[in-house]
Amino acid sequence: MEIRLSCILLAAALLSGCSWFHRGNKAPAEVVAEQPQGEPSIIEPQVPRRVVKTPHIKAKDFELGGYYGVLSIQDFGTNPLYGVRAAYHVSEDIFLEGYVARSKAGTTSLEDVFPNITVVSDSGRHFTYYDLDVGYNVLPGEIFLGRGRAFNSALYVTVGMGDVKFADKDQFALNFGVGERLLITDWLAVHVDVRDHIFETSLTGRTKNVDNIEATLGLTIFY
Amino acid sequence: MRRLLALVLLVQALHGGLANAAAKNLVLVVTDPYLEMHSGPGRGYPVIYVIGRDELVTVLYSRTDWFKVRSLRGNEGWVRRADLARTLSESGEPAPIPPYPDFASHRWELGAGYGVYNRENLVTAYADFGLTTSLDVEFAVQQAFGTLDNRYIASIGVRHTFIPEWKWFSPTAGIGTAYQYIQDKVPPAPLQKSNEMAYVSVGARGFITRRFLWRVDWRHYVVFNNQNVYEDLEEWKFGLAVFF
Repeated sequence: MEIRLSCILLAAALLSGCSWFHRGNKAPAEVVAEQPQGEPSIIEPQVPRRVVKTPHIKAKDFELGGYYGVLSIQDFGTNPLYGVRAAYHVSEDIFLEGYVARSKAGTTSLEDVFPNITVVSDSGRHFTYYDLDVGYNVLPGEIFLGRGRAFNSALYVTVGMGDVKFADKDQFALNFGVGERLLITDWLAVHVDVRDHIFETSLTGRTKNVDNIEATLGLTIFY
Repeated sequence: MRRLLALVLLVQALHGGLANAAAKNLVLVVTDPYLEMHSGPGRGYPVIYVIGRDELVTVLYSRTDWFKVRSLRGNEGWVRRADLARTLSESGEPAPIPPYPDFASHRWELGAGYGVYNRENLVTAYADFGLTTSLDVEFAVQQAFGTLDNRYIASIGVRHTFIPEWKWFSPTAGIGTAYQYIQDKVPPAPLQKSNEMAYVSVGARGFITRRFLWRVDWRHYVVFNNQNVYEDLEEWKFGLAVFF
């Protein structure tokens, strides 16, 4: 009896040992979903739970657009300017704005009188700038056109800094501006801006701060 | 001709998008005695319509703290956030007007500022993502304007805010890595045009008002070069940022 029992135990141990070696490629045990044992409920809810999805309110705080105008580059004449602008309106008073624009300088009086003299190479005449500004709506209001039409508007001032690349050199530039924003609709605005870019240069002989004033007309959309 | 067709399709798609958006606007019930509608999104614009209690308004879109709404009669005007937040949704729950972002737990921050980097003027723009209330990841893109060279610096780092519950002034410290590209202006050319760098920083931040905050940061960079010399740079900057 004892021998038979130990044989059975030995066989069981061997079998379990074999199964130990095979455990690497053992098929995964099938999981059988448990069936509900209780009786089916008498009232089965037929109405699916109502999912309330709150509509999203679109925030139209960003403004994107372009502008075109004239830039007076000190000592280099007045020339056309074109650029793009993007703004984020933080509050009804304050906005943050960025600009990238380009113009091409003309000739200095010296070059006009003495055509053989070149102050800046042709490729260096490109005047490119970027600016990071903060703006403040000083005088918000409405502009009336005739009897039955009113447009929201704002007179704003901006101050900022950025880079002016002129004569193949990047210079740190400050800028100050004033502008008027006229909203044709809630999403379309016309801008009239005057801005001064001030930087230090020694292009014409001595080191000095130059004022480069631009006057532009722009169109932007709010989204 | 093909461009024109593309433009027409684009306009149609936009129009379709707007039409769909119009169908899913939020409708709210006025619970105050009346709700004032201004002619523009600002405190000074006159009140042009008034909506009475229990009437419905459709919210069209928002601009800063003002919401453009339309009454059932078709009148449109701007309502301030605080007034609209006191209305109810059609199911009787409080209106789902997003609350003002909380300074203590804000996630994103976008800012720009002025500084001095290696005794050169510095323009900086940065984005900041808060992992927790006291630990954030900062990405910065900067340009330094020198007389001899211009430098472009990109950096990424982590920053710890020591006492985030101090709203107006809270010291910070951080570490990170950066890359600088040197653009030569005056000969001789630099020995290396670009470097990897590492930095430690100490600074402070504070709440200003609404969505604004200020930051001051001082950084000490160690420049990894192949000249076998120890090179380090200093930078300080002041920035203004908005948070979301």
